[in-house]
Amino acid sequence: MKTIIYTCPYIPAEWIAAHGLHASRIVPDHVDADLSLARAEGVCPYVRSFIGQVMADKEAGGAVLTTVCDQMRRAFDIIVRNGAIPAFLMNVPNTWQTPAAQALYIDELKRLGRFLVQLGGTSPSDEALAEVMLEYDDARTSIRSAREYLSARRFADAIAQNRVCNKLHTLHAEPLVEGVPLALAGGPLMRSDYELFDMVEQLGGRIVLDATETGDRGMCPEFDRARLRKDPLRELARAYFGSIPDASRRPNSDLYEWLERELIGRAVRGIIFRRYLWCDLWHAELGRLKDRIELPVLDIDSAGENHLERPRISNRIRAFLEMLQ
Amino acid sequence: MIDAPERITLEEWDLRYEKLYRAGLPQPAYGGPLSRHVSDGDHRLLKLRYDNSPAALRLWNFLLTEEDRLHRARAAGKKIVGTMKDLGTVPVMAYSFDNMVAFYPDGAWWIPCVMEYSAGLLEIADSLGIDESFCPVRAMLGAFVTEAHFPIPNMLICSVGATCDDFSAIAQRLNGLGHSIFWWEIPHRRCPEQAEATAELPGGLSAPRCQVEFVKSELARVKVALEQLAGAELDEERLSAGIRQANLVRQSLAELRYLAFTAEPCPIPALEMLVAEMLAIHYCSDRGETMVVLEELLDEVKVRVRAGRGVLDADAAKIFWVNPVADLQVMNLLEDCGGRLCGTEYLFTHALDPIPENVPPLEALARAALADPMAGSSIDRAERICSDVCRFGAEAVLISRIPGASHCALEGQVISEVVADTLGIPVLEIEVPPVADSMSPTVRTRLEALAETVRARRRSRQNRWRNG
Repeated sequence: MKTIIYTCPYIPAEWIAAHGLHASRIVPDHVDADLSLARAEGVCPYVRSFIGQVMADKEAGGAVLTTVCDQMRRAFDIIVRNGAIPAFLMNVPNTWQTPAAQALYIDELKRLGRFLVQLGGTSPSDEALAEVMLEYDDARTSIRSAREYLSARRFADAIAQNRVCNKLHTLHAEPLVEGVPLALAGGPLMRSDYELFDMVEQLGGRIVLDATETGDRGMCPEFDRARLRKDPLRELARAYFGSIPDASRRPNSDLYEWLERELIGRAVRGIIFRRYLWCDLWHAELGRLKDRIELPVLDIDSAGENHLERPRISNRIRAFLEMLQ
Repeated sequence: MIDAPERITLEEWDLRYEKLYRAGLPQPAYGGPLSRHVSDGDHRLLKLRYDNSPAALRLWNFLLTEEDRLHRARAAGKKIVGTMKDLGTVPVMAYSFDNMVAFYPDGAWWIPCVMEYSAGLLEIADSLGIDESFCPVRAMLGAFVTEAHFPIPNMLICSVGATCDDFSAIAQRLNGLGHSIFWWEIPHRRCPEQAEATAELPGGLSAPRCQVEFVKSELARVKVALEQLAGAELDEERLSAGIRQANLVRQSLAELRYLAFTAEPCPIPALEMLVAEMLAIHYCSDRGETMVVLEELLDEVKVRVRAGRGVLDADAAKIFWVNPVADLQVMNLLEDCGGRLCGTEYLFTHALDPIPENVPPLEALARAALADPMAGSSIDRAERICSDVCRFGAEAVLISRIPGASHCALEGQVISEVVADTLGIPVLEIEVPPVADSMSPTVRTRLEALAETVRARRRSRQNRWRNG
């Protein structure tokens, strides 16, 4: 079975899987960064690593990118020109309120479907799509219900694992550390960034809300099963395009509504705002977050040099937690 | 009075202005000596070199008095629309109403340059969390906060989707500060699939029919919003008339660009051409006067071309310029280093290409909007650049990176590769901040090297030709 790699949360893995292909949401790492790019300055470290990983992948059947961020849109041009595997750029509108934007998203899913068929996939019937959607929905429900008895790191790992294979190893309960409840907010994390969860726990805190793109925030909500049976593709679009809050949306008020709800619901006392240098979409939200959310915010920027940044990040988190304790 | 065309300083312009004034130079209401703008804080003017024609004087005075025009428009009861990011589409709709003017708050990105940072706009942007890792368009935030550079518009309309992240993020920050924004979506322009209905776009591009329909529906939403603001309907006839007027401006500019980029010697400096091109986007808040200003400049250039006179040496290296510069002085620097403009792609070719007049007006605007180089791939953009390089006969391409701009980080590589593969001519990248004084030696060295490379290639070609 061919594997289709992607990273954007607005790409439904179910749609790829329903075409008989393996959907793998990759979590790139700093070490994957494409060093062949003409220049590094100005390039978001995540995009750089994503390009590197796609370019190095000789096994995948195809890569799917989206227009959600400008640099990822440009990354598609690089991959198309120099990469070895077929690539597809999916238009994900920034506006979301109009029926036209929602219809565009559905049309783009259908266009993605045609790309998948070209790669050897099979166009799914409504029943087949519904079945795959239910399977993914069940897996996500298992993950969500495990949140209360998993460490933040294990919970984040479970989400990532689900995205790679939609199968979960048994999620055993583990003793949870007590600590200042924190939220981690921002764009996607890279593999080695997952050490942040451990770091926070070692320093006396606990991430109770993973509001990154690779965490809770990027997970599509539960499907409405009645609507799913009636029109699965429409329900897929509603759940993904209509429900995942993100900094890129215009306006992005839904991101703040989601955050406010979750922050209160999980009694969060402080926010670690994790952003990449040159990621304008998230960087611009920092000031707004501070204006709007009445919680202390710690800004952690990353240029993708984890080994150099670790001591600085650790010191900043330590100071942040001392202030909160 | 017939004077040889040349590039002169502001001081020299003052002396010349006196002479022209005494000789009875006819001037519009916004006319006057250029140096008066320095007292408004436009200190960069002291360091620029200008074309010495009365037509250029009018062009500069027109540009530098836009704020006054906007205030007058408001005082006259007109509605002011701040159009953001689309660069050339929504203003065509806005100017089709009798009681509306449109301008781009994005234009504030030149204020740090023109006022040499004295306006403090970037510091305000910094304080709002929008620091120097963003493109200089962040100055717009400061301009909204100080309300000192343009009247706050009655309505803000911003295109999002296939745009740069800097602007989208800054506009969202502005929205978060309480400025209501009407968002409309411009999708990433893609190649039509096999057997998919296709529509031709300006600039020789094409797009799937469904994308044109989508943009048309978005512009229909914009139209309704504008009608509500204006309290008047914008019917097809009025919108078509607005498109015809826009095309007159574009036609005049096309003629000016062709002469400016191809005539030898170069008849008009790069800086004035940059300003002239900017007029096509929103007419500097007066569409009728834009036509007059451009026609006068075009007449001047025609006279010079007929007389075989120009402002630069005949052997100046012919450079195609990509992206607008944050520091206007760098356009002077190109010429000081032995280069001349021979084609430009300032990210708004869709505001220069004629809008189709053989289709319904909203569809025509949708096609124009989709032809935005920012909306398509860097590969499309590079191919258009190659086509224009050939058309104007440029010998090298200069990519002027905009500091912090999300698109510049990766597209330069694609453009360089495509140009090199297709045309085999030199490509050079420079980065230009709003005030490039501290980087001037580096930029100068690179520009000189480019001009020398071009001349060396010419010599090499001539030698090969002589040697059969």
